[in-house]
This record gives sequence, C-alpha cells and structure tokens, in this order.
Amino acid sequence: MIQFSNLKKAYGPNVVLSIADLTINKGECIGLVGNNGAGKTTMLSLLLDLIEASAGSVSSKGELVSKSDHWKTYTGSFLNEGFLIPFLTPIEYLEFIGGLHGKNSSDVKEFLHENANFYTDDITAKKYLRELSAGNKNKIGILASLLIKPEILILDEPFANLDPSSQSWLKSKLKKLRENGITAVISSHDLNHVTEVCSRILLLEDGIIVKDKNNTEEMLEELESYFTLI
Amino acid sequence: MFKLLLHQWKEAQRSTFWQKSIALNILLVIIGLYLLLNVIALGYFADEILQKTYKDSNVIDSYNRILFYFFSFDLIVRFLFQPLPILSIQAYLSLPIKKSTLLHYPLVKSVFNFMNLLGFLLVLPFFLKVICHTQSPLYCFTWFLVVIAFIAANNFLTFFLKKYFTKKPALIFLILGFVAVLVYCDIANLISISDSFSEMFSFLNLHPVLLVVPIAMATASYSIAYHLLKRNSYIEDIISRQTRRIGSFSFLNRYGEIGDLIGIELKMTLRNKRPRSLMMLGAVFLLYGFLFYKEESLNDYYILIIAGVLLTAAAAFNHAQLMFAWNSSFFDSFLVNKISLKNYIKSKFLFFAVICIACYFITLPYAFISYKIALINTAVLFYNIGITFFLLAYASSFSTSRIDMGKGTFMNYEGMGISQFLIIIPLFALPSLFQLLFSSIGYPQYGIYALGITGLIAIACNKFLIQIILTQLVKRKYKMAVGFRQK
Repeated sequence: MIQFSNLKKAYGPNVVLSIADLTINKGECIGLVGNNGAGKTTMLSLLLDLIEASAGSVSSKGELVSKSDHWKTYTGSFLNEGFLIPFLTPIEYLEFIGGLHGKNSSDVKEFLHENANFYTDDITAKKYLRELSAGNKNKIGILASLLIKPEILILDEPFANLDPSSQSWLKSKLKKLRENGITAVISSHDLNHVTEVCSRILLLEDGIIVKDKNNTEEMLEELESYFTLI
Repeated sequence: MFKLLLHQWKEAQRSTFWQKSIALNILLVIIGLYLLLNVIALGYFADEILQKTYKDSNVIDSYNRILFYFFSFDLIVRFLFQPLPILSIQAYLSLPIKKSTLLHYPLVKSVFNFMNLLGFLLVLPFFLKVICHTQSPLYCFTWFLVVIAFIAANNFLTFFLKKYFTKKPALIFLILGFVAVLVYCDIANLISISDSFSEMFSFLNLHPVLLVVPIAMATASYSIAYHLLKRNSYIEDIISRQTRRIGSFSFLNRYGEIGDLIGIELKMTLRNKRPRSLMMLGAVFLLYGFLFYKEESLNDYYILIIAGVLLTAAAAFNHAQLMFAWNSSFFDSFLVNKISLKNYIKSKFLFFAVICIACYFITLPYAFISYKIALINTAVLFYNIGITFFLLAYASSFSTSRIDMGKGTFMNYEGMGISQFLIIIPLFALPSLFQLLFSSIGYPQYGIYALGITGLIAIACNKFLIQIILTQLVKRKYKMAVGFRQK
C-alpha cells in the first residue's frame, strides 16, 4: 500500500533520514518511535509530500506521492497547527475539509454527533481556530483527518496535549479503525499509547530504522530497554 | 515605568524587522531618512510654498488653515495604521507591578510612535522659522501648545477608535466619515471650518485663559484611553479584541472548490488585521481621482493611465503582491488536502478580478469629469486582470517568508522580498510604454486601445497563463512551504 524506496532526506551533508526499503501493507497500523530529532516527522512529511526527497521515492497505492495528487483523496492527516486554517471557526474548517470530499454541512453535523465524546463546547462555540487551546486544536486536526473516512491515516504525536479521557477515546477509535482495515502511521513519544494501538513498531535513530517488528511483548521490552539505556 | 520603556527600546532594536538582508535594511533606512528629510524640508519651506500658493493671504493664517486638514487626515491615517499597543502589557500582567503603571505604560509608549514624530517634525521647523520670528512670546506659546494638544488628542483618540471599531464598526465609520465630509465641505467652500480653525489661534492669543480648552481636550482623550484600557485589561479582553464575526459567505459554496477557496480568501482578508488594513488602504486610493483628475492633466495620457492603474487596481494589487504568502500559516493544509493547485490559482485570479471590477465601477463616476477617464480605466482594467495578475502571481511565488496576519501594516514588510519591490516597475512602466510607442507615431489614443486589447487577449488566454503559474508553483512549492513554516 505504501512503499518507501531508497528514500533519503539530507540538508547539505547532513542526512536526516535514510530508508532503503520499507513496505506498509494495507490494514497495518504503524507506530513510529524514536527520540527527538530521530526523523519521525521528516518521514511523515515525506510521506505527505510536504518536503522534497533528496533521493528515492514514496508511493501510495503504486503512485508516487510527489507526482500524483490522487493519494489526497483517501488520506487523512494531521501533523501540526500548520494544517489548520487559523481564522476559520472549527465548524467552518471541518465543513471546508468535508466539502473537498463531497460532504455537506449535515454530514459534518452527523460526524460531530457520532464523535461527540471527543470534544467540548469550546469547539462548537463561535471561536476561531487560533483562539483554541493547543489540545482543542489537536482535536480539530484529528477530527478533520477522520471526517473524510480515510483509507490511510497519518498522525504526528496525536496524543500530545490531550486530556486522559480524550487519549482513551482516541485509542479506542484508532483500534476500531484498525479492525475496519484502515492503514495508519502514527508517531508518538509514549510507548504505552503506541503499543496499545499499533500492530507494528518502527524505531528510528538518527534517521535510520533500527528496529522494525510486530507489536509483541518482546518488542515492548526491547523498546523499554532501548529508551532506558539511552 | 522607565524599565518598561527600556523594554520598548529593546523590542524595537531586536525586532525581526531588522533581521533581513543588509542590502534591504540599508535600502529601508535610506528610504526612511529620505522621507523624514522630506517632512522636515516641507515644514521648513512651508512659508515659501504658502506664499506662492496663497498670494493674498497671510502665511501664518494659511498654515493654520492647512493644520485643520492635517489633523483631520492625521486622525484617519492613524486609525488605519497606528498599532494599538495594548497587547504589550500582556506579559507584565502577572508580575508585581502596579496595575495603574501598566495601564499608563502603553499610553506613554504611544507618545513615541512614528506618527507623532512625523507631526512634530512637520510643525517644528515652521514654528522656529516663522512663528518664533514674527509673533509675540504669548502667541508662540499658544500656537505650540494648541498644535501639540491636537497631536496628542489624535494619538489617544486613536485608541478609542480602534478599540471600538471591533465592537461598533458602524459608529466608527460614521465618525471618520463625518470628519471626511467636513473636510470635503471645507474644500468645496460649502462651509469654512479651516478659516475658523485658523482664527482660533488668534482668539486664544487674545483670551489665554481659554488655553485650558485644548489642554482639557488632550487630557480628556488620555483619560478616555486610560479608562478604556482599564476596562479591558484582563487577558481574555486583550485576546478577544480580535474576535469579530464576519459573514460566512455560504453562497460561495455552490461554486464548488473554487467558490470554497474564494470564501477562505474573503474570510482571511476580513478576519485578519494586516490583509484587512491593506484592503482598507486600497479603498483610500479610490479617492486619488480627486488629486489626479485636474483640468491641466486631462490631456496627459500618462497621468491618466497611472491614475487608472491606481484607481482600479491599488486595492487588488496591495492584496495580490503577497498572494501566496497570505496562506503561509496554513500552506501545508493546502498541500495535503484534496485541493487542486490549478483551482487554487483560479480562485486567486477571480478574487483579484472581482476586486478590480468593483473598484472600476466605484470609480466610474469620475468619467463625469471626462469621457477619457472611462475609456482609459476600462483599458487599464482589462490590462490589470489579464496581465498584472499574472505578473504578481509569478513574483509572489518567490515569497518564502511567513506572515503574521495579526500585525498591522504600518512599516510592516513581512513577506516582502526584492521581487515584490521590483514588480512595481513593470506594473506602471508597461502601460506607459504602450503609450510612449503610440504617442511617438502621433496616435496617443491608440496606445489606450492597444493596452485594452492586450489585456483582453491575455484574459482570453487565461487558461494558458494559469498553467504557467501552476508550473511555477509546482516547481516552487517545497521552497515556499519550507520558508512558510519558519516562525
């Protein structure tokens, strides 16, 4: 479903990401872990064609993401605040994103009703996105990525800034989506969240995948000892 | 208070405004010094200019009459450009500093702003050169005090106007409109406020006790501004000052993706300070016809073309020179979502065209002065939509700096690069070149036709031109996005 081939991102002589070959199959939920600066966000940005690869390519469903826009029709993503349009109200933003995928206002209302446990009144109040707290901004970004009913979901640190009950909600939502066959790539600093949700874990170190294993007790122990020893 | 003012100095000194290329900084400093020297020179030679312009009047009386226009214009300009320093106290609210000190701080700070300096430098040379040498000490004192009182009153009244603009925009437009109407009535000799304003100085000289009135006026405006700050000094008030609800433009939804994108552009313009102020400044350009369309210039095609460009495109031009940079804070959203870049450019094109067409119709009544104005403005309109837009779009693709849309426009060059400065040359020069070409062979009016026809051909070829911009955007998008992400 997603294929990384000889992918490299470098800034001058400094190589920040290098992936020789990686395949993410349909229905897999990938957890990306690693320390700060390990290359997690760079990998997700390349996957979303937000930055230009220095070499190699990323393809989604057989099409190069840098050459075709088709992947945007089935990919939901939220990396950071830059994905939000700050002067729109949350509802306007969701309607805009939904509109791009043929959804109207009532579809958005229905979606919000279905996911009512994930947000507070602050989101439906007439506030601009720039006026929301960091957590609520995250929630809107996540909701927008889910609204389009994506086949591929890409989230960077989705649990950051969320309160415990919202974290629980998101975990159960992601588990449910995984059961329904969605393909997801999620980065996080919290091993517990990742191991609870993902089927496969990639550990990045200095831009290189140093571990790529299915989510098992053994993998969790390896990761715990990695982060403890480091 | 001294320490707080010291912070202001550091803020100015360490501003990101100076973190540009050295060449651009030198250029801006030279332009700034040149402007200040012009202001000082204007003040210094004002007596000679007035003597030549108003031969039958006393120089001081003429100057005092002009002060009325100056203070009226000053108030409107301050409303449009003077930043509201209220946010500057936010960082200090939780510190052990007396609240009253914190509230006086932005007001005292505002005394040192550029507009006050400008006013001061304009009147001081005239005061030293003319008033001090020809008038009694009492008159000198009276004159200077009144002028400073008006500058101060305008400075503090701006707080009130700007603060209430977010709450009661209609009221503020009414007040500013009233000032504009008074000035117009005076220019049109319907009433003579400027004469009364001039006489006020002599009257105060005869009755010095009444000097308490201008002093009271300045004090009252300070007091109003102080109490306004006091009532709005909690963080939630400070932050919510920017919260204003402006239309949802849902009617645009029926035009599909392009309609949605135009809706985003409209909301962006109306809900953010900088693009909104630039658009309002564009509206001021609509009045330029009163300056350009004089009897003696109606036969000068070059002046009429420049006027036409300013009238029909200034507002759109102001906006479009930062076409892609306006979206810098959410450019990634456009890259990852199902938005066609071609439609994105088309929406920018239509937005530009609609503003130009609106300005064209608003300024069409100038045609009552001369039919040539309608003819030239029509040709220029086609040229602007067909050619100017694409020149601006191409230049905008080189802009890679992030814009903080919440900042004011005054001396704000965020997002501006060399390409934005350079593009001004062909924008004005190309239409004049058409004119030069046809004037040299004796058919100046054909230059206008050629300009219009070129614009129409370009409009007809818009798909091809959009494709060129699209290719450029696809080529530049990574560089633009990387630059836009830098905070």
